[in-house]
Amino acid sequence: MYTCGIDVGSVSTKVVILGKKDNKIASYVIASTGSNSKNAAIKALDDSLKKAGLTDNEIEATVTTGYGRINIPFADQNITEISCHARGAISLFPDLKTVIDIGGQDSKVIKLKDGKPIDFLMNDKCAAGTGRFLEVMARAMEINIEQFAPIFIKTNDKVDITSTCTVFAESEIVSLIGQGIDKNKIIKGLIYSIADKITSMVGRVGLDEPVCMTGGVAKNLGVVKALEENLGIKINIPDEPQITGALGAAYLAQNLH
Amino acid sequence: MGIKDKLKTGVQRNLNQKYIRRLLDIIAKKPVLFAYGSTFSSLSDKYLNIFTIKSLRNAYTDNNHPVGYGSLFLPYEMFHALGITPFLPEVMAGFTAGLGLATQTLKEASSNWYSQDLCTFHRSASGAVELDVFPKPDFVITTNLACDAAQKSFYIHSVKYNIEKNFYLIDVPYEYSKESILYLTGQIKNICMDISSKSGIKLATSKFKEVISLSNEFRKWAIKVNNLRKTLTNYPPYYNGLNFILPFHGLAGTREAVILYNQMYKELKKYLDKEEKEKSGKNKSLKRILWLHLKPYYKNEIFNILERENCRVVFEEINYIYWPELDPERPFESLAKKMLSHFLAGRIDNRINVILKAARDYKIDGAILFSHWGCRQSNGGARIIKDSLNKLNIPTLVLDGDCVDQNNSSQGQVKTRLQGFVEILNS
Repeated sequence: MYTCGIDVGSVSTKVVILGKKDNKIASYVIASTGSNSKNAAIKALDDSLKKAGLTDNEIEATVTTGYGRINIPFADQNITEISCHARGAISLFPDLKTVIDIGGQDSKVIKLKDGKPIDFLMNDKCAAGTGRFLEVMARAMEINIEQFAPIFIKTNDKVDITSTCTVFAESEIVSLIGQGIDKNKIIKGLIYSIADKITSMVGRVGLDEPVCMTGGVAKNLGVVKALEENLGIKINIPDEPQITGALGAAYLAQNLH
Repeated sequence: MGIKDKLKTGVQRNLNQKYIRRLLDIIAKKPVLFAYGSTFSSLSDKYLNIFTIKSLRNAYTDNNHPVGYGSLFLPYEMFHALGITPFLPEVMAGFTAGLGLATQTLKEASSNWYSQDLCTFHRSASGAVELDVFPKPDFVITTNLACDAAQKSFYIHSVKYNIEKNFYLIDVPYEYSKESILYLTGQIKNICMDISSKSGIKLATSKFKEVISLSNEFRKWAIKVNNLRKTLTNYPPYYNGLNFILPFHGLAGTREAVILYNQMYKELKKYLDKEEKEKSGKNKSLKRILWLHLKPYYKNEIFNILERENCRVVFEEINYIYWPELDPERPFESLAKKMLSHFLAGRIDNRINVILKAARDYKIDGAILFSHWGCRQSNGGARIIKDSLNKLNIPTLVLDGDCVDQNNSSQGQVKTRLQGFVEILNS
């Protein structure tokens, strides 16, 4: 039998189907959430079942997480991203003490003790320090977001981005480009602005190693490197960091039956 | 024009305002205040509503007594001894939020250059003053105890109503000492004498003694209520300890406060007796929460979420009885000691000691510090409070939000934080 975890995020919906006996991922899907989170979850689950060659009868329990976790009618339980990301990250790095998750619309730092969350901090209602911030800035600069990491690595200098607000930061960038400032330096500055915000969140919760980073932004090696530099540590990154919440949800579903 | 005439003019002018119409509607139809559902759930609930409404009605319509604006941490015994009707703009800001009218008052404040960083209790109250929907005050009294916004915004209220000469600020020293008591006693006495001379109301010793005795009586029942709550797990469904700010402060020294707290004690005692009789009824899996600071006063889901997750706020720091019994023979000195004893006066250690004592007394599983936007006195201590509770292995959630402005917090984010916190408590 299998369990299923569905992480309905603001940008993407992630599904993980997990074997109950062997704890192996039978399949996973990352799909766009779009405007209807319920439909997105149903479709992503169907795709994931097809990919694994399973039927829904073989799913013993389903746990949903993420901002859209409540509206999924077939879920057995909904659990917050805090518990799910912690559980997912612990399954990959058992000694973990801190999880940094940067998703589409929120970022969080979770402190763990003996594999369980004991404290957490989430960003305030502003989108600064989230994946959305990076997306908006990439669009403003007419650069594909995937180019951010290589540019970060090859660029030595940076321009400080002083605006925290996403909208104001976008105006600031347009203004900097207008002044003829090198785009690469702006990108480096943008990445540091996210890393600085997360660094202060880590400071508030308290830094304990080992640390793991999850969520879509963990795929951006520029942000990871800037954070490593700020914190003075090495950060563990899962092979597919975006599905960590869904993986944790699938693990937590194992406790339901 | 005398004080009473001014008051009358003010009331008449105000009567056309939508805000007052709504308020008088509530008073006339005898239904309920914002936070308590649609019917009176009990006698104490009824008392709370009636006394609150009576206090408001007096401020708006009673022309026989001067109206005094007062900030939260004042000793209201001095108002009652002087026969001044207290009107608490900060409490009214909460009331305004409950009525769904805070958006209007906040908008008005914004149009009048009140900073977005200013605490919304004060910003909303300032907007209401700008809109002229509050009763016209004859005196404005405030203090620098705990709240930094009150001393500024209350002065602006006095300017708005052209009564700067009737503005009083009680300066509470940082340290509790003999010199501080003397200094504060002198201020309270001088203010009372000045108001007495301006209003023509004689400050009778017998009246002051009576008020002080009533305050002691209220204090006695409030302590009894707090002691009962140490063992209670089931509460009357209407009970929320964060709804008693007006009686706890503004009615101290009145018979109403005594009646209310006595009735509350009787009702909670009944619950405790029932619990002890039906041992099986004891809710063992209940998570006991200590609530720090205030709550949102607009419609919100926080307490429903906690209820659904089998969590109960078993104590609120704002209900802690911090002052010693007052001496009716030395009223001014007693009130000075009351102010100086406040746990928000002086060092943060005073507050932490109260919180840690409450954590032990009420056997709490977790604490929630509602971090109200712009409230420096409360938010400033968040880190050290959290660390102190964590040392006792008590998880603490610092929940960012706004008590008055519903546009300043997202219900979805609040829900995720609360659920995440409960998951930690249950893990």
